[in-house]
Amino acid sequence: MSQDLTRRAAVAALAGGAGFLIQKAHGQVVWQVNASRCLNSRLGEVGVEACNLCTSSCVVGLSAVRAVNEHSKCGRCNICPAYFNIASAVDEKGLPSEKLCPRDAITRKPIGRQDPEDPSNNFYEYSIDEDKCDGCGRCVMKCKEPLGLGSITLRVRYDKCLNCNRCAISTACPKDALEQIPLPEALKSGEARTG
Amino acid sequence: MADLRYRQRRAISGKGPEPGQFGHSLTGLALDSQGLLYASGDSEIKAFDTAGRLRSRWRTQRPALAVAVSRDGRVYAGEEGQIEIFDAAAKAARVWRDDQMLGRVTAIGFSGDTVLAGDAAGRAIRRFDRTGRILNVIGADNNVGGLLIPNGVVSFDVDSGGVIHAANPGKHRVERYSPDGTLLGHFGKFSFDNPAGFTGCCNPTNVAVSGRIYVTEKAGPRLKAYSRDGEFQGVLAADCFDPNCKNIPVHACPRGIVYAADTVRLQILAFEPEAA
Repeated sequence: MSQDLTRRAAVAALAGGAGFLIQKAHGQVVWQVNASRCLNSRLGEVGVEACNLCTSSCVVGLSAVRAVNEHSKCGRCNICPAYFNIASAVDEKGLPSEKLCPRDAITRKPIGRQDPEDPSNNFYEYSIDEDKCDGCGRCVMKCKEPLGLGSITLRVRYDKCLNCNRCAISTACPKDALEQIPLPEALKSGEARTG
Repeated sequence: MADLRYRQRRAISGKGPEPGQFGHSLTGLALDSQGLLYASGDSEIKAFDTAGRLRSRWRTQRPALAVAVSRDGRVYAGEEGQIEIFDAAAKAARVWRDDQMLGRVTAIGFSGDTVLAGDAAGRAIRRFDRTGRILNVIGADNNVGGLLIPNGVVSFDVDSGGVIHAANPGKHRVERYSPDGTLLGHFGKFSFDNPAGFTGCCNPTNVAVSGRIYVTEKAGPRLKAYSRDGEFQGVLAADCFDPNCKNIPVHACPRGIVYAADTVRLQILAFEPEAA
């Protein structure tokens, strides 16, 4: 009885593995960052340093994981904790004098009707230059609730990702935030941008 | 700066299934002339006595986002698209329904014979007469077309002279308006490390007035006091809130007791001056 069960389990595992390989061969399975697990974006993690294992672990030179700002969720704030180092000294306009991103990958511009006199009297659009971003996660950590609105998350860029069988980031990630999903699912959720 | 010291006197309610507890949300606080404390949350209004005992509770048609009590004892509940008005016996008396003017009512107050509703969807304060007829809009006449509320809540209170004090967190300040919508002044500015300022992207989130001006902030959550002129008077409470709290409702009574709600633990915290 138990031998039979073991044999059935082995056959099932082989069949599953074969299915995975077939999907893999056709590029149908991709890695993604589960934002609800990622230390930088999941709720409830406050007062901790940003995790940069996506930057340091990825086998791609500049990590295939990049920060993405979902504009529809962004508060378009004057003082964005993901853009400014809000702990830096305040300048004559009342703004923090330093930026947060070590690679200067985030830019901002006022949108709509502009008030040049009072920076706080404008909305701002924050854009991330993905050619500069290395996925260090600092902006993600500062954007998440309750400090921010959680509009910035880390995402795998499939035009950069080598889709390794054993993703080095997934091995390193302490929260098992890297997971594989079928490509159509990633496309459907808007997760994938294939370049 | 006044050396203002408060201590936590009582914790009321909490998260749970009991009648006196909240299941998902705790959104607003108000006091009536008898000292009963009203709290909005979930789809209910609950009334507690000064000892924190539940005295009554009743359902609202939609999730309750704000509560206020008028001088004649009527209880106003702010909801999406409407305000429900209950008489002193907690019976529904009227419903003001207006998807445009009452998109998402997160604060209610009274100025003279008029009713003020903080509409988070419209990022402004709407002023109505007692029959529910719109009179004017407050806080929308600026470059960004309203109050900057990334946190999704309009919060204001009205002082004894009828002046409206509104949180404008995106501008890191508290603004004073006359009932006709004239901006009378403001105080506050961004600061990361000076507690007199407002930190983060958008603070203060909530405001209450009773002699002093009390505000709450998020990340890290704290309760602070300012004079009517905007002079910082102190941090009244900070560590007692869950660090993930935001949009902390606050209500102050003339005796100096300040109520603030922990929006994660769904608990109402009462603070009183240490000298009291």
